[in-house]
Amino acid sequence: MPDTSLSNATALRDETILRRVRHLGSAREGLKEWRVQRCTALALTPLGLWFVASMLSLATSSDQTTAAAWLSEPAQAFLTILFLVALFAHAVVGLRSVFDDYVHTRARLVAADLAVRALAIILCGASVLAVLKLFLGR
Amino acid sequence: MERPLSPFMFPVWYRFQLGSALSILHRFTGIALTIGSILLTWWFIAVAAGGKWFAATHAFIASPIGMLLLFLWSAAFFYHLCGGLRHLAWDAGYGFEIRDANRNGIIVLVVAALLTLVTWLYVLL
Repeated sequence: MPDTSLSNATALRDETILRRVRHLGSAREGLKEWRVQRCTALALTPLGLWFVASMLSLATSSDQTTAAAWLSEPAQAFLTILFLVALFAHAVVGLRSVFDDYVHTRARLVAADLAVRALAIILCGASVLAVLKLFLGR
Repeated sequence: MERPLSPFMFPVWYRFQLGSALSILHRFTGIALTIGSILLTWWFIAVAAGGKWFAATHAFIASPIGMLLLFLWSAAFFYHLCGGLRHLAWDAGYGFEIRDANRNGIIVLVVAALLTLVTWLYVLL
């Protein structure tokens, strides 16, 4: 089946395009993102149940030292950081799939995706740094 | 390649169905949880900073709006969690017949409500 579609003709690479070899298979990153979404979902199931119950107890009490002490424990700090990384990775893939469906202009799609990725990196970095600060006791 | 568009069909063009309602609810809660993660990061920074930052943050959390947001966040979280497990089951090929999908959709709603209730009983008692 000869592939004359424009997106293959303009692909910015020289190697044989996988999609052409596999006909209807994807040659891009879709499968990887799909796997990331499912794997982070699996990770977030136990982590989320644990984190939400713990975090709601801490957040509704007015005691800063209890929350700080809880987050500075090695197991809590470690699991919280795992939760945060999985959460933001999951959010990036999820929002991208919403944009794919409802943002029909290429430029806007790229802009929205980049904005969400930047925001996720900033939020993930800031919250992980806050946990590390408590864990390292600085 | 021209990709097929997926216009917003619910509820203008489709009659109400549990499947499509839960599908859009899954996305809606996903978006809401992402927005909620901004507040989550704020809380982490406030705990790390301590002092007046924590006091101001806690005053907001303890306010009626703050508690309502926390409750909605937890409800969204548990719905998205249960709905996500349903999606993982579908990915593995289970529960996809219409009769099963309608039934496990109701189960997801009930379990999410129970988890939210149990969590808040645990938090407040």
